[in-house]
Order: sequence, then structure tokens, then C-alpha cells
Amino acid sequence: MKKRVGVFVCQCGTNIEATIDTEKVAEYARKLPGVVYATTYKYMCSDPGQELIRNAISEHQLEQIVVASCSPRMHENTFRKAVVGGGLNGYMFEMVNIREQDSWVHHERVAATKKAEDLVRMGVSKVLRNKPLQVSTIPITKRALVIGGGIAGMQAALDIAEAGHQVVLVEREASIGGKMTQLDKTFPTMDCAA
Amino acid sequence: MVAVAQHPNIELVTYAEVSKISGYIGNFQVQIKKKAKYVDWDACTGCGLCTEKCPTKKLKDEFDLGMGLRPAIHKLFPQAVPGKPYIDAGNCRKLTEDKCGVCEKICPVGAIRFDDQDQYLDYEIGAIVMATGYDLFGWEEAYGEYGYGKYPDVISGLHFERLVSAGGPTQGHIRRPSDGKEPKQVAFIKCVGSRDDTKGKSYCSRACCMYTAKHAYQVKTKIEDSEAYVFYMDVRTAGKNYEEFYQRALNEGATFIRGRVSKIYPKGDKLVLKSEDTLIGRPIEVEVDMVVLATAMVPSQGSLELAKTIGFSTDKDGWYQEAHPKLQPVETFSAGVYLAGACQGPKDIPDSVAQASAAAVKVCGLFSKSELATEPMVSEVDMGKCSGCALCVPICPYNAISLKEIQERGGHGHGPFTRMVAEVNSSLCQGCGACIPACRTAALNLKGYTDEQLVSEVDALCL
Amino acid sequence: MSIDQEKWEPKVIVFACNWCSYAAADLAGLNHLEYPADVRIIRTPCSGRMDPMLVLRAFNRGADGVLLSG
Repeated sequence: MKKRVGVFVCQCGTNIEATIDTEKVAEYARKLPGVVYATTYKYMCSDPGQELIRNAISEHQLEQIVVASCSPRMHENTFRKAVVGGGLNGYMFEMVNIREQDSWVHHERVAATKKAEDLVRMGVSKVLRNKPLQVSTIPITKRALVIGGGIAGMQAALDIAEAGHQVVLVEREASIGGKMTQLDKTFPTMDCAA
Repeated sequence: MVAVAQHPNIELVTYAEVSKISGYIGNFQVQIKKKAKYVDWDACTGCGLCTEKCPTKKLKDEFDLGMGLRPAIHKLFPQAVPGKPYIDAGNCRKLTEDKCGVCEKICPVGAIRFDDQDQYLDYEIGAIVMATGYDLFGWEEAYGEYGYGKYPDVISGLHFERLVSAGGPTQGHIRRPSDGKEPKQVAFIKCVGSRDDTKGKSYCSRACCMYTAKHAYQVKTKIEDSEAYVFYMDVRTAGKNYEEFYQRALNEGATFIRGRVSKIYPKGDKLVLKSEDTLIGRPIEVEVDMVVLATAMVPSQGSLELAKTIGFSTDKDGWYQEAHPKLQPVETFSAGVYLAGACQGPKDIPDSVAQASAAAVKVCGLFSKSELATEPMVSEVDMGKCSGCALCVPICPYNAISLKEIQERGGHGHGPFTRMVAEVNSSLCQGCGACIPACRTAALNLKGYTDEQLVSEVDALCL
Repeated sequence: MSIDQEKWEPKVIVFACNWCSYAAADLAGLNHLEYPADVRIIRTPCSGRMDPMLVLRAFNRGADGVLLSG
């Protein structure tokens, strides 16, 4: 596997940019071993941002991608899809969290930028050791279990059943209906609950 | 309710509890315990003769919160779905003392089964919707100033619902529990247990402002020459047509007083409430016939154990934790398990219904595919390194590792031989990596989080 | 050996479980709760993945503190 890492630093409007000098982070990234391309963009998760990643992959023959932006719990899948769209295996990608765990929790610009550089360096170091992974599939049993037969459980069960799927509705009491059956008229329309 | 019972795609299992859940998204194995009802519901026609003739009649009716009476064999309430009775085993004379048996003699279709046992049913399930709802905060333990539940005419909002309901113990006539008199002055206290860090919960229960406005409205419209006093901290009417409804209660003549009630004490057959009116800055006292407390919603009993069984988390108050407060409000951290209604946090009916439909869409979305792509970041075994010591097998919390026999060619004077190595079931493996530190020969690795990758991160950081 | 308190920049490595502590660190961010910028978080799929080897490696390479959280 060739080592051709592309680093994409997101500014997230001003969410990141206000505390972290993203240009400086990108410039730092360019000097890291294996990195052949680094850039910043205002909103990396937006359509043009993803397009930027896809184009850079083909333009610079990138093999590994690092995106420094928000938490991977937020947009890991978004960027993984963009990486796949660029023709790479989706797991040749690492995300670096410089928003939730950097720009949002620190105020001192120099220290926050230094931390972002460290995090990018770690991300680049890791991605160089990533291997393409293949997604496998598992079967799905098309029967839902709804636990609780109150208004929420009944509504969910009906909606799923109406869509044509089997539903098992379990209720602790001897009747469905839940708390709602104990209510008289209900606000704001004063219609009957049961 | 009837629509649920009659739907051909819905199997209704009532008087039952989930006893075991294992597996993973798309492939859960669920065991449901059907509690003994002592009535064969397939045979029973729901005629109600047994309920009528049962001699053990004077049991407190839980559905009416102890304000009404019921027999030992009964339906939960007259319009119950399914409309069949069951025997409350703890109070049935036949089941406790082997006497009576009247229902068995009288049942025209012979549906009574005194030898009924708990049954266990097994299901293959693809997705789970949690809709376990809420219970009411036990104010009797916490609020001494309101009498610890000693005064019979200090009741909860749900009691009031039963009193005002046409199907309730008073046929919808508002009568106070102590002497059955119609109360002329009724006080309502909001935020009992809600928004009270010291005695109750820190959160707002969201529905109480509105139902209290409704109760005050009902007192004013159903009882002639009545007074409804509502003691509030704030009035929160964030919902479509909610503010208008609150205005309706005000227009009907309900008196809203901004202040916390500090004490309730009896005086003759009246109750005196001491409070202050913070808008005029004066202490006040009000004499009333009945007090209704808007008690906080708390997670339903047993919901925590259920969450543990399935393996997803709850928040600091025990409500089921959604995967993201804004972007994944119906998902949990367990794939294939979704949330509907008040189990996730206090909700009123419109919000519960909306969330239930959202959960249903998530389930339907999952079921629209024939197979599901799995996360490839799972453990793998390097068979060349594995010694077959099996230390990893008991460590795996998902039972994803087992031993298998492999053939070796041999060499160096040995013939072919077989030996055991670990094998990871990639569908069961959730990629936690707990097996890896246990492996003495470094044969196990977690794809995406290999030793090499993590060490490289540490090294890059420490430069 | 003395440490100049003014200039000393401690290296603290946190190994955080993706499902709880890493999410909690995100939540801290969401609420803009400030903490010292010397902390570097390494995401692990679960604290069960933690190998004592990684802790020793971190100290060996000069980390001043290691926090395992999960």
C-alpha cells in the first residue's frame, strides 16, 4: 500500500476556526511523513466539502484520508461514504476530533491549535497502518417486539403492522391501553382518552 | 385499542413479561413469560358471569387506585382488551385455601383453569421497540408538609382522573375520598416531585401544567359555585393549542397563584394550605375541601432491569438513554432497539404518539432490507499464532468466540496432526476488543483498532 | 529533578471508550465545559480493548499521565 495521505481540516463555520488556526494545522499536516495533500474548508460535511474530498482523492492519487473536524460519532459515516465515493476502501480513513474535544473545550488559540496538530499527527500515524476492511452481511428476522402496550406501544405496533410486518406486543397488565385508559378527557381537545 | 387486538399482523401477549433477550440487531432471541391467568382465554367468551358471582368482592381495585372495589376474578377494567377476565391468585379463595370454586361451577363454557401455570414463549425477533412508559413519583415518602399521604383528601392527579371519569368509582361525579361529599373548593399543587432537587427530581414532567389546567377547568365546569386554586411555579404551555387551553381554564374562573405550598393541615373537615403569592409578595392561606397534587413522572417499575437485560443505558434519572438528544432521539446505543413514549423521558400523549411512529419508521426501515451490512471492525484470529488456550472464550461478553479443530501438516519428523484454535463469529462479535488483552500469543487482533494502530497513536503523540 | 511549573506542558493520554467516556468528552464539548489543553484522547472501541502494554508504552515514551476511562 502506497503512503499517500490526504488531510482535510474543517472549519465548521467558526465553530472550529474561532479557536483553532486551521490553516496552520493544514500546513503542519503537509510536513508529516506520508502526507501529500492537506487543505481546509468551511464545512467539510457539506456537499461541496465531500466533493472536495472525492476530487482530491483522484487528483492527488490519495490512498489514506484523514478528516479533522467534529466527533466521529457525528459524521464518521458521512465521510466514510465520501471516501468510498472517491474510489477508496471506506476504512482507509480516520477522523480527528478537533471540535467537541478541542475547539469547544479550550479557549486559548495557541494551545488549541497545538492540540489539533498533535491529534492530526496521531490520526495520520494511525491511518498509515489502516487496512482495507470488507463489510459482511447478516440476515434480518422481520418480526418486531414491542414492549409495553400503552399509547406509545400501541401506536408503534399499529404502524409497523400496517407496513406489513409481524409484531409481537407484550403487555405486563391483563389489558393493553396503559395509563391512558385511566384518564378521563385529555387536553387540549377534551376528547376521550380510551 | 381494539384496532391493535384485531390487526392480523399483531400478536398480542398480555399479562406477560420479557424474561430473556439475547442476540443482536436483526436476530434477537426473546423469551416471554406469560403469567398464569387461570382462565383459558381461547374458550372464554368474556360474558362476565364469573366476575358477577365471585364471592370475594371487596378487593381494592388497582385500576381505580384503590378508590373502587373489585372481585378476585375480574377484567382490569370493563373495556379491557382483550375483554377477558383473569384471577388475582393471591386473593382467590380456591387458589389460596382450596375453597369456593364458584367461577368454575358457573362458567358456561368451562374456561376456568385452576391448574394454569406460567408459560414461556420463545420468539425470533428482528427489532425491539421499548414503550414501557412511566409511573408516578411516590410523593407520600417525600413530602411531609403535604401529610405523607395521611390525609385522604390529598390525592394525585391520576386519582382525580379516576374521580372525573365516567367509568370511574364515582361514575364521573367529583367526590372526595374521605366522606364522598362533593368538594366545593379544590386546590391543585403543581411540580410535586418535579423541578425539586431536594425531594424529587430535577426535571420538568412536561404534562402536568396542561392536565392541571384541565382539572381546574373540570372542577369549574362540573361543580356549581366551585373554586379551583392552582399553585404553580411556572405555567408551561409549549404545545399546539396549549396556551389557548390554559386561557380557557382561566376564563372559566380558575385562580392561578404563583407560589409553593409550604404546608397542608386539617381544620375540621377542611384542609388549610399555607403558601405565599410571590406576585404580590404576601403569605396566604386557603381553605379547601380537596387537594390534587401534580406528581412527577418517573421511569416505570422494572424498566431499569429490562434495560440491563437488553444492554442499553439509562440516564441519571433512569429514563432510557437515546443515542443522541437531537439527531437520534428514538435510537439507543443498542442497534435494533428503539424508544417510544415516556420511557425515554416525561411526555404527553401527542409527543408519545409522534415518537412511537418515528420508532415504527426506524423498524420498517430496517425491515425494508433483506440483509444488514455489519461493522467490519471485529476481532480476528491469526491461526498460526493461536495456541488454543481458550482464555479468550469466557471473556467475550457476546459469546462470539469458540474453539475449532484444524488440521496441521506436521513436519520435522511428525506426521499430520490436529489442534484447537479460537474462532470468532463475526456476526456476534461487537468489536469491543476485550479478548485481545487476554490473548497471550498476540494471535487476536481487532480490525481497525489493532495493537499496531493504537501503539502508533501513542508513539505519534509522545514523539 | 525539578519541574518549571510555568513552562511544563504535561502530556496526559486518555484512553476513552467510544460508547461512554468518548461520548462524555463529546458531551463536555457540546456544553462548552473547559479543561486543560494538555489532554489528548485516544478513542478505543471499549475499555475492554485496553491492553496494559499500551499504558506501559505511553509511560515508556514519556507520557506524564495516563487515564483509562470506560
